[in-house]
Amino acid sequence: MPKVNINGTEIEVEKGTTILKAAAQAGFEVPHFCYHPALSIPANCRMCLVEVEGARSLEPACYSEVTDGMVVETKSERVIKAQKSVLEFILLNHPVDCPICDQAGECKLQDYYMAYDAQESRLRAEKNQKVKVFPIGPEVLYDGERCILCTRCIRFCEEITGTNELTIVQRGDSAEIRTFPGKELDNPYSVCTADICPVGALTSRDFRFKCRVWLLQSTDSVCTGCSNGCNIHLEHFRNEIQRYRPRYNPQVNDYWMCDAGRLSYKEVHTDRLLRPMSNGAALNWHGVTETASAKLARALDDDAGSFGFVVSPQASCEDLFLAKRFIEEVLGTDQLYLGGKPDGFEDDFLIKADKNPNRQGVKAVFGGLNDFGDVDKLIDDIESGAIKTLYMMETHLPADAETRQRFVDALDKLDLFVLQAQHCAELANQAHLALPACSHAETEGTFVNFDGLAQPFEQAFAPHGDSLPHWQIFMRLARAMGQPLTYTFVHQIRDEMFQASDADENGEPAEAQAE
Amino acid sequence: MTEEKSDKTEKSKETTEEAAEEKAEETVEETEQAEKAEEGGEAKAAEEKKAKKSLPKPKAAAKKKPTPRKDEKYLSRNFEIPNAHNLDVYEANGGYRALKKAMKMDGEEIIEEVKKSNLRGRGGAGFPCGIKWSFLPKESDVPKYLVINADEGEPGTFKDRYLMELDPHRHIEGCIIAAWALGIRYCYIFVRGELQFAQRRLNQAIKQAYDAGYLGKNILGQDFDFDIYVHPGAGAYICGEETGLIEGLEGKSGQPRMKPPFPAVVGVFQAPTIVNNVETISSIPFIIENGGQWFADMGIEKNGGPKLYGLSGPVNNPGVYEAPSGITIRELLERYGGGMRDGHELKAFIPGGSSCAVLKPDALDAQMGFETMREAGSSMGTACITFMDTNTCMVRVAARLAHFYHHESCGQCTPCREGSGWAAKVLDSIEAGRGRMEDLDLLLDMCDNIQGNTICALGDSIAIPVRSYLQVFPEEFEDHIKRQSCPYPAWSKRKTSADSDAA
Ligand SMILES: Cc1cc2nc3c(=O)[nH]c(=O)nc-3n(C[C@H](O)[C@H](O)[C@H](O)COP(=O)(O)O)c2cc1C
Ligand code: SF4
Ligand code: SF4
Ligand code: SF4
Ligand code: FES
Repeated sequence: MPKVNINGTEIEVEKGTTILKAAAQAGFEVPHFCYHPALSIPANCRMCLVEVEGARSLEPACYSEVTDGMVVETKSERVIKAQKSVLEFILLNHPVDCPICDQAGECKLQDYYMAYDAQESRLRAEKNQKVKVFPIGPEVLYDGERCILCTRCIRFCEEITGTNELTIVQRGDSAEIRTFPGKELDNPYSVCTADICPVGALTSRDFRFKCRVWLLQSTDSVCTGCSNGCNIHLEHFRNEIQRYRPRYNPQVNDYWMCDAGRLSYKEVHTDRLLRPMSNGAALNWHGVTETASAKLARALDDDAGSFGFVVSPQASCEDLFLAKRFIEEVLGTDQLYLGGKPDGFEDDFLIKADKNPNRQGVKAVFGGLNDFGDVDKLIDDIESGAIKTLYMMETHLPADAETRQRFVDALDKLDLFVLQAQHCAELANQAHLALPACSHAETEGTFVNFDGLAQPFEQAFAPHGDSLPHWQIFMRLARAMGQPLTYTFVHQIRDEMFQASDADENGEPAEAQAE
Repeated sequence: MTEEKSDKTEKSKETTEEAAEEKAEETVEETEQAEKAEEGGEAKAAEEKKAKKSLPKPKAAAKKKPTPRKDEKYLSRNFEIPNAHNLDVYEANGGYRALKKAMKMDGEEIIEEVKKSNLRGRGGAGFPCGIKWSFLPKESDVPKYLVINADEGEPGTFKDRYLMELDPHRHIEGCIIAAWALGIRYCYIFVRGELQFAQRRLNQAIKQAYDAGYLGKNILGQDFDFDIYVHPGAGAYICGEETGLIEGLEGKSGQPRMKPPFPAVVGVFQAPTIVNNVETISSIPFIIENGGQWFADMGIEKNGGPKLYGLSGPVNNPGVYEAPSGITIRELLERYGGGMRDGHELKAFIPGGSSCAVLKPDALDAQMGFETMREAGSSMGTACITFMDTNTCMVRVAARLAHFYHHESCGQCTPCREGSGWAAKVLDSIEAGRGRMEDLDLLLDMCDNIQGNTICALGDSIAIPVRSYLQVFPEEFEDHIKRQSCPYPAWSKRKTSADSDAA
């Protein structure tokens, strides 16, 4: 293994390590724009130039590999001059419209200017002008003046999605990013280009002008868009999610996430069931707990055998664990059905057909999926009277519109329909009792992704309205029905649950490399 | 030295062959003396070297071989023979003899001869051809390629087109010999898009060569297949840079690649590739025919062989001339170019295309060789010399060149993309009378910040000339700034892009 000396620090690294990575290992930051750890290395921005003893010119640290005995300076006078000059060149025709730029606050150019340049402009002539708002795709806009032509976006579309929409047109300082004729930047991961764009040249249409990034609070979470469970930064301001951003996890999603998942945060803020309701009338939790426990107790007395329960793969493992205990210890039924969203689009990269984040969690908690009836059986059982009381977690069913309508029509036949869900989804009005549950942003928990990887997510903000986590609702009802299930913290459930199951708990996510 | 100089000036006015021979002999004598003197004491020699920096002494000049007489032609031998572009005429004048000889030699032998010949790349960088060839891997799972750089786009350079238009078979013969020596299967000749006549001539000659069995399968009855394709460029100067050219060949836009890997290892279509200039390959048949030593003898240390030189500017006989390596620029100007035109006094010259540093007439005695031109403060480049007279505004020239490189920068890397345009803007403003003294330091600093910090050498091609104009003619820049206008009426009367920018 080659030994290198970087700024006086001796370090031994793998053969083939670039100077930039070796420097990072030795604890030195080498500023860089075009280099991205997941993409090929064009070495075009020249921000990472470092001095290698014996070399005539400076070397791009992102590209050049270390050799045994190499002596590297990343902070020498020559390097500092080169860094200043590259920033001066980049800023030469840059509009510096930071006050109206969404990237401001998380802009590599701003940060590096402050750290490595911080000098007045020496340009007296006019700046070149380019397109300011170019609709490069349905989710992304392009600003030619801010673009530093690092080609990260092009390489993403070539190397990660393989969709090849982007290229450079023109040359020299007239060059701009464009799509190939007849193409749009509309691949299912297109907004990732805005993530990796080091400046504000590519911006997400959804996030544009919505919130200054320094106001955002960020919570480590997991996307609920499908069973892949991409790790995300859930970024919010005043109890509202402003955007999702992928969080590096080489086991799951690397640096990426899909556009649909990225926009799935909107579900958290639409059509929410915010108050407990009884037959369409709002109640408080005290009132609804009493009513519900009384009604459920009566139903149990009447006919314990006609109880049905719809379990949701949208709920976290902790919620499901309490659901299981509630079903077994309070309701004592074995007529279980599996809810959740119907299958959808899938590809061979991240997007999975299963649009539920926690089917594997259901499997782990309930010891398999064989005991669950499907939607057709659910409808048949309601229509045949095998079920007189239905307790349903979440509003989704894996059914097409017609089947779903059959289900809605059949609901009339029930003596008691209890819905415990985030959303109204036209079912809340039909429910005799509607109990508001909160989303994954408002509580913590664990999802097990398609691959069996258990991934914890954290609470971002307080539950909306009067909603509560599923597990707390089950606890309330159980207590009211004289079968107390007592937990105070999610982690207590988690500990107990992992003792009982064989799912692996996710280790700490790997350290992201400097992006 | 001064004596010698005046002597030479005088002599060069005569154009007889005798005079030329006499002078060449003198040069040899002089060099021998110099060598002896150098043996005397290193310190002294170093001192001498320092003192003569502005006007370098011809060093280690032609060892035995006198400067050939004007009719001793090789590369341009066929230029004046009617229809030499046709196979029969070419063969009647000795064509394809070298190929037949080469195919009796093995590859290693040929590479050795080329190494011995001191043939330097004629595309501008001057890399020793034989050494480049020896870098090509012997064994390869994929076919190896020969790529001919016929993009000839350097301003002031116009030599390769003659070779392609007037003697295409010589070039094809060179390609076949190279392929035979190096185990190459395919060749692309990447011809500058504008040179349509050259493309036609090459295609015609290639067809004739196929028909005669010099190309295609089992060439000359041997187990040797080789195909040549002509690929027209799309009009970008940067496609003359060898890796930009390879990208262009692959159908992409011409953005030079990072090196290493060098094309010899990973070139076109990811395969081992030799990229050579047209003239480099056209020289190969002569090396085979006459031997590497013969070629090396016709030149100076490390620079062998006959060479085409282009002369342009206000000289009496502008054009392309053949002369040995190591000839002085003075001789080229006086003997071949016929001196400056009446009423035009030499002010400056660029020795080998616009990316070389500008020189003053005191460097006229520098020899055309890569090392000797570097010592003279510039570079040999493509050896096509642009002469400029005293009516030429140096600020205007620098601005014009900066505009060229700005226009041709591929835009990949930051310093070249942004620096080229900035330099052009600042030079324009000085030329338009809006300059400030601090702009001169700014320009020099800009050149320092571009040079060496880019992916390809185009960045250096901006920095080196711009810096040289500022350093060789500082007073002219200062004059522009003090007057706040251009003192050259011929230029200021013309509407410049700088003027229209200002409007
Ligand atoms: C910007 C730039 C433009 C160039 N243009 C040409 C050209 O037009 N023709 C050429 O033969 N070489 C050109 N070169 C040099 C080539 O990169 C390369 O050195 C040459 O083709 C190698 O062939 P040779 O060794 O036979 O000279 C250019 C280099 C640079 C950096
Ligand atoms: S990209 Fe960065 S530097 Fe440019 S305007 Fe936006 S925030 Fe400012
Ligand atoms: S749009 Fe952004 S990512 Fe793409 S080249 Fe420009 S600066 Fe780089
Ligand atoms: S130096 Fe100029 S021409 Fe060469 S790669 Fe960089 S931008 Fe392109
Ligand atoms: S050149 Fe190394 S990061 Fe851009």
